[in-house]
Amino acid sequence: MTRAGLLRLAGCIALAGFVVLPLVQAMALSLTATLGAEGVPVGSFGLYNYINIIQRPDLRASIGNSVTYVSLNVVFCLIAGLPAAYGLARFRFVGDRHFLMFLLAFRVTPPVVLSLPIFILFARVGMINSPVGIALVHCVFNLPIAIWILESFIAAIPRSFDEMAFIDGHSRSGFFVRFLIPAIAPGVAVAAFFCFIFSWVEVVFARILTVSAGKPITQAITALFTFQTDWGLVMAMTVFSLVPGVLMIFLVRNHIARGFVIRT
Amino acid sequence: MKPHNNAAWALMIPAGVVMIFVAVLPMLAVLNYSFHDIFSLDKVLWVGTDWYKLIVTAPRFWASLGRSALFSTLAISIQLPLGIATALMLRKMQPVWATVMLMCLSIPLVVPTNMIAGLWLALLRPEGLGGQILSALHLYLDYKFTAVHTWALILLVDTWHWLGLVVVLAYAGLSSIQPAYYQAAAVDSASRWAVFRWIELPQISGALWIVMLLRLVDSFMIYTEVMTINAGGPNDATTFLSLELGEEIKAYSYGTAAARAMVDFVFVLTLVWVFVKLREVGKQAAGDIP
Repeated sequence: MTRAGLLRLAGCIALAGFVVLPLVQAMALSLTATLGAEGVPVGSFGLYNYINIIQRPDLRASIGNSVTYVSLNVVFCLIAGLPAAYGLARFRFVGDRHFLMFLLAFRVTPPVVLSLPIFILFARVGMINSPVGIALVHCVFNLPIAIWILESFIAAIPRSFDEMAFIDGHSRSGFFVRFLIPAIAPGVAVAAFFCFIFSWVEVVFARILTVSAGKPITQAITALFTFQTDWGLVMAMTVFSLVPGVLMIFLVRNHIARGFVIRT
Repeated sequence: MKPHNNAAWALMIPAGVVMIFVAVLPMLAVLNYSFHDIFSLDKVLWVGTDWYKLIVTAPRFWASLGRSALFSTLAISIQLPLGIATALMLRKMQPVWATVMLMCLSIPLVVPTNMIAGLWLALLRPEGLGGQILSALHLYLDYKFTAVHTWALILLVDTWHWLGLVVVLAYAGLSSIQPAYYQAAAVDSASRWAVFRWIELPQISGALWIVMLLRLVDSFMIYTEVMTINAGGPNDATTFLSLELGEEIKAYSYGTAAARAMVDFVFVLTLVWVFVKLREVGKQAAGDIP
């Protein structure tokens, strides 16, 4: 191996170590009984914490809640985002650049800024504690991202593709479902991926919109911090919360990089 | 060239309606609160621009703004070069291994925000792996009471969280460069730096611009990680804009919190605007080069 090759190998190992070290620590802690219980001495090694998650209804429910609103959010972003992305990719119109800037402005709005009025607004329309509410609010930052990503994928397809479908007598909605979506499937996957992870890791909105029920996984973890925190259980829950994201990364690994090519 | 058709606005309607409901209306509400003193939702008193005057005349606010600006600058100047260098290195590797590294670097992106700092604090406990490594190296990390250490830890954690995004996007840009460019550079026996400056950098600038923008605004308003690590301490040394705002929301002073939120929002928007303008100037300059 050449000297440059060795240097690269060393660089990679150092970088991988840096990224993986906190995760290894979390794994190790999650497999250790940090508080112990009857028949489970402190420091014993095993799946004790994971069994604990399955046995606690509040933790089980939180996983279901998170999955529900994150999936709903992905659906909302795709349904609202696809037509907008198509329009921006295919036509020029009065105010098109301003519309993009408008979206950008809200992508960069810190959630804390909007948290209070969103709480009051959603309380008024009865969407507190509901997964639909959180899924809608997460559109603030995910819809702009979805539109950008989908737009760049649609723009890469020649216009003649649309015209062929229309000549064949397909309506616009038929064209969307039968032609456009299959043609930009990797783009839909990448958009879904980014919406999924940004919604999955978000905490501010998810916290204020769940007052008494529908707590997400992030809140369930926060609730585990008490006077005597069971670090093993916290870490088991954290490791658990990584599973869907890591699966998503694996699924889109070959397309993940194409999404953010943006024209303004 | 795209045809001009104002009927395309009809396609913006679903997205527009959602954004009006979840973003525009709440934003208008914040603007409205910022001119009022809110005791309860029924007892509201008009105070005009008093909150704004109070905020911009407070030295603490300007100190927080300075700290936020410094943090953003440091975060970007560490993460961007490191991310580009990593992407360049990955391009030299076999694709399979490059993909493995990309996946590995993306994992921190899917960690819930409130556990990012928690993972590092668990690692750095004296009995944790990181704590043991540090003590073997005779290093001592005092992030609770030494400001420099707190800053270093926050920067480290933030870099851990976001480096993957920079690498993934830079790598994507580099992968799309046609081999012909490199061959031409080799014929001209261009230096490694020249290849980077005139071939690679222009090709990845589109991806870099969006990652820079995202990093800029997200680091400028960083909250959860800083709050977990040391709650703005020691002695306000890591009290950023968002932490001041968080204090007021927690204290239920909605009027002043709303005014502060508006001020912060204006700063973020100004940053974005300057950024977009710089980008346009840069594009024109690049266009002048044949």
